Amino acid sequence: MELTDAGLVARVLVDDDQHAFGALVRRHQSSVRGLLRQLTRGDLALADDLAQDAFVRAYKNIRSFRGEAKFSTWLYRIAYNCFREDARRRKELVGINEEQWQAEQDPQTVDPGLRHDLMHALSLLPLHERSAVLLCCQKGLSHDEAGRALDIPLGTVKTNVLRGREKLKKTLAVWAQ
Amino acid sequence: MNEQIEQDWLDRKLQEAAPYIEDDGFTARVLQQLPAPRQAGQFLRPFILVGMSALASALTYVLSDGGRFILVEMFRLTTIPTLWVVAFALASGMLVMAGGIFAAMSKSNHIQSEV
Repeated sequence: MELTDAGLVARVLVDDDQHAFGALVRRHQSSVRGLLRQLTRGDLALADDLAQDAFVRAYKNIRSFRGEAKFSTWLYRIAYNCFREDARRRKELVGINEEQWQAEQDPQTVDPGLRHDLMHALSLLPLHERSAVLLCCQKGLSHDEAGRALDIPLGTVKTNVLRGREKLKKTLAVWAQ
Repeated sequence: MNEQIEQDWLDRKLQEAAPYIEDDGFTARVLQQLPAPRQAGQFLRPFILVGMSALASALTYVLSDGGRFILVEMFRLTTIPTLWVVAFALASGMLVMAGGIFAAMSKSNHIQSEV
């Protein structure tokens, strides 16, 4: 039987079980790396470096995970902080690596043209709107959970999601018809 | 209603645009970077410390003629002026409090910078 996140975290806390932490990494690596890829506007190498840093930080600070939020929400918060610190260091010098970005996407699910426009529209959103839209609309977090992950008030999350959605809808209006 | 349909469509497309990313050795790379796990025998440390302290106390008691020096020092303490005792207690209390506040502040800063 597969252990829950809470069960695996307990093993890490009690026995310092790195196999259990490995299981947590395997379970959440896709969503954390996916989020970082979109936050870094498709810079895959940077996103993976940040994701590694986020997981190592999570391991070192696992005692501060009190179980009030989901483990994934806590991870998104750490990943977002890693991204923010790096962006501050680089002063947002992250560019769009469109070709690599396109190659990584699954060609079966979304029309390539729509995918391109969607990713481009996302990359044009300001960081605070992009992160709120990604967490709430893509990762399925509630506004409250996204607020915790981004460390901003609930009202600000709602505003950012609303504004981000409006901009995306406007840009993708042709595809929605 | 139309608004809700548009919103659902957008959310669905956003979710579809984020396919599963294969691990491809990512987990192994993370595990390599983790600090070494705690030593298995680390849980014995408190027992060893308590045992050594008890042994040292017993030796001191035996070698000091049943702790006679404690009685002598207690007697000397009663001859110290009360004002000195109050000042000493106050200074000790403030020192401990300052240490506690400093430890709490540095711990809080550490957690904030790490997470």
